[in-house]
Amino acid sequence: MEKGTTGRGLECLVVRYAEVGLKGGNRRYFEGRLQRNLKDALASVGPARMGRTWGRLLVFPEGDPAPAMARLREVFGVASVSPAVETRKDLLEIEPVALRLVGEALSRRPGEDRVPFRVEAHRADKSFPMRSVEVNRRLGATLLAAFPRLKVDLERPSLTLGVEVREACAYVYADRVEGPGGLPVGVSGRVLSLISGGIDSPVAAWLAMKRGCRVLFLTFHSHPFIGEATKEKVKDLVRRLSRFQGPSLLFVAPFAAIQTEIRKRSPEAYRTVLYRRAMHRIGCRIARRHRCLALLTGDSIGQVASQTLENLRCAEEAADLPVLRPLLAFDKRETIALAERIGTFPISIRPAQDCCTLFQPDNPVIRGEVEACRSVEAEIDLDRLVEESLASCEVFRLAEGKPDRHHSPATILPSPPRPDPENPASRAAAPSDRPGSLEVGA
Amino acid sequence: MDAPTIAYLDNAATTRCDPRAAAEVSRFLLEEYGNPSSVHPLGVAAARALREARETLARCLEAEPGGVVFTSGGTEADDLAVLGFARTLRRHGRHLVVGATEHPAVLEAAKALGEEGFETSVVPADRAGRIDPAAVASACRPDTVVVAVMMANNELGTLAPVSEIARAVRTRAPRAAFHVDAVQAFGKAPVSLRATGADSIALSSHKIHGPKGVGALVLAPGRRPAPLLHGGGQEGNLRSGTENLPGIAGFARAAALAVESLAAEVPRWRRLRERLERGLAAALPDRLVNGDPERSVPTILSVTFPGVPGEALLHHLEARGVLVSTGAACHSRRGGSHVLLACGMAEEAVRSTIRFSFGRFTSEADVDRAVAAVPALVAELRALSR
Ligand SMILES: Cc1ncc(COP(=O)(O)O)c(C=O)c1O
Repeated sequence: MEKGTTGRGLECLVVRYAEVGLKGGNRRYFEGRLQRNLKDALASVGPARMGRTWGRLLVFPEGDPAPAMARLREVFGVASVSPAVETRKDLLEIEPVALRLVGEALSRRPGEDRVPFRVEAHRADKSFPMRSVEVNRRLGATLLAAFPRLKVDLERPSLTLGVEVREACAYVYADRVEGPGGLPVGVSGRVLSLISGGIDSPVAAWLAMKRGCRVLFLTFHSHPFIGEATKEKVKDLVRRLSRFQGPSLLFVAPFAAIQTEIRKRSPEAYRTVLYRRAMHRIGCRIARRHRCLALLTGDSIGQVASQTLENLRCAEEAADLPVLRPLLAFDKRETIALAERIGTFPISIRPAQDCCTLFQPDNPVIRGEVEACRSVEAEIDLDRLVEESLASCEVFRLAEGKPDRHHSPATILPSPPRPDPENPASRAAAPSDRPGSLEVGA
Repeated sequence: MDAPTIAYLDNAATTRCDPRAAAEVSRFLLEEYGNPSSVHPLGVAAARALREARETLARCLEAEPGGVVFTSGGTEADDLAVLGFARTLRRHGRHLVVGATEHPAVLEAAKALGEEGFETSVVPADRAGRIDPAAVASACRPDTVVVAVMMANNELGTLAPVSEIARAVRTRAPRAAFHVDAVQAFGKAPVSLRATGADSIALSSHKIHGPKGVGALVLAPGRRPAPLLHGGGQEGNLRSGTENLPGIAGFARAAALAVESLAAEVPRWRRLRERLERGLAAALPDRLVNGDPERSVPTILSVTFPGVPGEALLHHLEARGVLVSTGAACHSRRGGSHVLLACGMAEEAVRSTIRFSFGRFTSEADVDRAVAAVPALVAELRALSR
């Protein structure tokens, strides 16, 4: 896979992955997924070849490696990335490069007079005349002699000189930047995120992606109470989040009729809880059809009235799939800090009304009761309203920097058969995962 | 939505380009595409067209052609006046006076000057959006170097007594440059540099059925703000950069058309506004009309529908092909929002306020569509919001 023998000075990126290595029998699957995700992520910054070695991946960008490196640092599953220099597999050539790289690394930490340090060589090419330990020892001695600030510390090095010896050549590196960690997107299966224009739900979606979930999105749109700008805002959020998982599907379910009906027939205090139950119903229908294993929300316990434990239970009771809530224990400022880091914050704070604020009660119920919800719902033809919303649901396939693809509702949700409550698993089985594919039904 | 199926009543936000202005834009893009600085025939023709556009604007504004500086729009014209005059006059003082309802182009420019040591006094407006010349006078100080007041309020249409204000500025702050943002007034009321006695007037093409992204700052003889852009010295060294001739030619045509048709349009707009006002009043006796009925442009009608969420009304109207705007502070995306609050209107009322605004292409049928749609929607939304 590597290029010739003497592309000296040519840089490659050594990518270490976090928990992928821990997953025993699934390891090859995880590595394959990570490699595909890296390739997809790199497509936006330019062509690159890839290779595997010793529990790490090697990436060879054709152009400047800096943008590739920045991009790799956003891919889940990546623990860290090191820019490496390619040399001939000859200690006489490896040594001067090692001296240069360590010298540069030390010049970036002027204040520290003792830098704990180790050499870490791997030898994929068994024909290489020296064993890894010998390489470690030889290079260690050379570097210690040249830089008196270095102090060997095999346990907790803050500077590691790495050497990968492969068939065609060797790669030497001294620098390392952290990646986001987590699991490669796709290995954990699909979830359906209920996304509003707010700050929380995009962060929850990002956290689910971090644990290897592919996230599909569903938003509720109460036209004509709410304008097109709100929908565009949610699309911008999904577009931004697609950066972390590739092209993403957004379902837009009409919600005005349901809200109006709830507004007319329910006690004012229960409105918000009832909206959320209806959202969960619609969400579960779409989730099953698209093989999602759970719903995902941005709830944080007690943040607003609809997020007390009682009210979360009321909402969840209407769902027949698990509801994942990665922000349960987050404070608002922690969520905001993450939103800023992933670039959704500036979009979330754009003023645009969201449907949850429509007919908002002045005194919402704090400890809602499931029975009370059920008895109101018995008065409403909720099944019909849910079907109508599903039937005119819009779907978009969104990616950063690409034009939207709009799918007509008919191609997504052909006359919906009732979900089969006996056998949810049959549809929600293997997490096969073509990004943005539109499997319809079972 | 196709043009014929909508009733566009949001002309204060922007207008449809007049086909005659669009034809000019197209001509200077496709045929007479020369650079006015080139010395070959195509360039010479472009320079001539630019000169003619400048003369047209000067005639429309009763100004000197040499005082017309073409810009990228109203925002740049306001910025050039506020920042430019403050910088050239700074040795006389560091104090600015602006109206509370000014466009952000003026307010933010004044705020930015805070960094350069300038201080700003804001003159309040009353409930009808009126600015009292006496209040401007008392805000002026001997070290005031820029006074900026908008001629027509963009939410309410209220006209400021600019020539009275000009006189007040002259006596109280003789060194100050008096800038008038006439973006909303031009084409709807007579605007004359000479008659107002202003030092500069800002205009924007897209509010008068011209193309977007072009406007002008019209300067009184001898007045020169410091330029914002540095480069090839175009526009008398006040606005470097190859001139946007397609935009400028389209703007000049639109300006000429606006001035020519003003006398005929004003009474037509008055009738439209009365028709709308009466239609709404008949069905909705509790609606409130905002602004100053005595002195305002005839193209804007601001109405408060108590108890109705304005944004929901807007979107329900949009679903029926009637396009308007809201005065709401937080939900309408940008612009205009602060104006009603600055006039002392309660937030509650601001949230229930809709602005209807007319242009050349507004017909009685458009107004009738609004009159037919609004009352039922108001009743429906009121019931739902109670
Ligand atoms: C009073 C006023 N001034 C300035 C502007 C800005 O003009 P432009 O959109 O050409 O930058 C506008 C338009 O939004 C306006 O209404």
